[in-house]
Amino acid sequence: MKSTRSVGILCVLAAGLGFAAPEQGLPSWQDGQPPEEAWVAGSELLVGDAAEGEGAETEAVALELEAPTAGDISGAAVPRSEVPEEYWPAYFAERPQAFLVDPQGLLSPVDQRERLDFLNYHAGDSAIDLFVYVFGGDQEIPGEVREEELVERFFAAGRPAAVVHWFMGAPERTVLRLSPALTEKLPLAEQRRALESSVMQALNQTGPARQFEAFLVQMSIRIYWMERMLGGTEPPAGAIAAPARVVKPLEKKSKVMELLQPHLEQARRFALPAVFTAGALLLLVVVSWWLKHRARHRFPDFEVEPRLGGAHAAGVGAVISFASAALPPASQRDQMPDYLRRA
Amino acid sequence: MMKCPRCVQRIHRAAESCPHCGFSIADADARYGAEEVRLRCLSDTAGILKRGDREQVEAAMERISRRFPQVFAAVHTGALGEVANIRQFGFWLLNRAAFEDLPPDKPNEAGILLTIDPESKAAGFIFGYLLDPFLEEADTFECLCRAHAYWLEGRYADGIVRALLHLEGILAKRSRQARRDPGHFQRKVLPLAMIGDPVRRIRAGHRNVSQAPENKTKEVVQ
Repeated sequence: MKSTRSVGILCVLAAGLGFAAPEQGLPSWQDGQPPEEAWVAGSELLVGDAAEGEGAETEAVALELEAPTAGDISGAAVPRSEVPEEYWPAYFAERPQAFLVDPQGLLSPVDQRERLDFLNYHAGDSAIDLFVYVFGGDQEIPGEVREEELVERFFAAGRPAAVVHWFMGAPERTVLRLSPALTEKLPLAEQRRALESSVMQALNQTGPARQFEAFLVQMSIRIYWMERMLGGTEPPAGAIAAPARVVKPLEKKSKVMELLQPHLEQARRFALPAVFTAGALLLLVVVSWWLKHRARHRFPDFEVEPRLGGAHAAGVGAVISFASAALPPASQRDQMPDYLRRA
Repeated sequence: MMKCPRCVQRIHRAAESCPHCGFSIADADARYGAEEVRLRCLSDTAGILKRGDREQVEAAMERISRRFPQVFAAVHTGALGEVANIRQFGFWLLNRAAFEDLPPDKPNEAGILLTIDPESKAAGFIFGYLLDPFLEEADTFECLCRAHAYWLEGRYADGIVRALLHLEGILAKRSRQARRDPGHFQRKVLPLAMIGDPVRRIRAGHRNVSQAPENKTKEVVQ
């Protein structure tokens, strides 16, 4: 409290001094130049020439920058290359078997799986399928490929579909095409709004993967609204007549995969140690068998005195009779002299 | 424990003939012949082994030779007649046989001979002096027991293979034991003269001790 009060008193005193001091008028001079000897408040700020030392320090250094190229000036895009020819069949040969077409593996496996799961989910929830072709940000579709014709050819039959060409890291290049069944009924403006909205959502994100995710979510929402425009959630008549053969297995698979996923993850965690352990054990068994197989046994050579006149052997060893099953080996264990046996 | 092949009574280590029945190699020679007998390690005189069977038995014999480079296995089948004793015959054969298919560095001392008489339905093992310290009669009996069931059914080859396989296991075990404690096996075959040595030394020691005080006394007296 004391400190607050003292600060307040100081403020009051300072204000009082300010009012008490005579008001300093603005400097004025004639002929555009101030008088040489007269002191003018703030004159240092008004002087155009600085001190010599300061001038040396603050002298502007000319930066050596490359002159802008003609391309920079004209705002031309980064040079692009065509999609490698080896991937053309995967992209353009047939109607895709999955909703996500990424033969180049531009998405990470995790992203690919998650996006595909989302697209499968969308297909299960919506009457309009969403097919996405993923290309590189600096790639362009070959000139030989006529996209509109492909969409017409592949997506004329089956469920209505929205086909997106997505360029990784360049959402503004995204192209949206609708299957013929939808093109006739949905106004072009609505299509453009859906695309713009989705691209905007993507551009709000950083990183190609997150952009892609945001784009798909928004596009899925926009497709829902397209369905509403087409007349409720009921799919178009053409769609009922030709149920999607591609989607259903994928959906089933995804559900099964969802159920198995935790177990698979758990199994995957132990798979490597288990394989290593099994391999080590197998190796151990094989090596021990091999060593045993290769082992050579030697007996110490002791001097044995000959017996019974035999130069090489003294006749030690067992005898067994197998004349009858009634005389088992157990009863022959005690090797008896023949004359005792007969007795 | 060493036994006479004829009366199966215990005999001492260097007996030139059985102290119970007087049996020696000369008696066997008188019955079977004193000449050297040339034969192969597998001689099927009785003709009880088929072609495939022979290969099977030869493989088992070869395995023993491979795992125990000092040792070889031999199998002889033949009808010995009513009067012959398979134990005596085996003793005689291992002493008089010259195995043609054996390398010269393998003497008969290193042999294990399995003799089978399909007529009298009897079989016996005999082994040479090299294995004397390491094999017991009971060991060879175990091997014959493994083959007994097969031989009862007339499956001679299977029985021989089983017997040799079991013998292989016993030999491996004894070899390991001998490597760990060779003295244990050496004591079994020490010549009698060497066994007597410690006794003589002890007695001599006692004599020395008993003589020493006398000398001392003499010195004191002098």
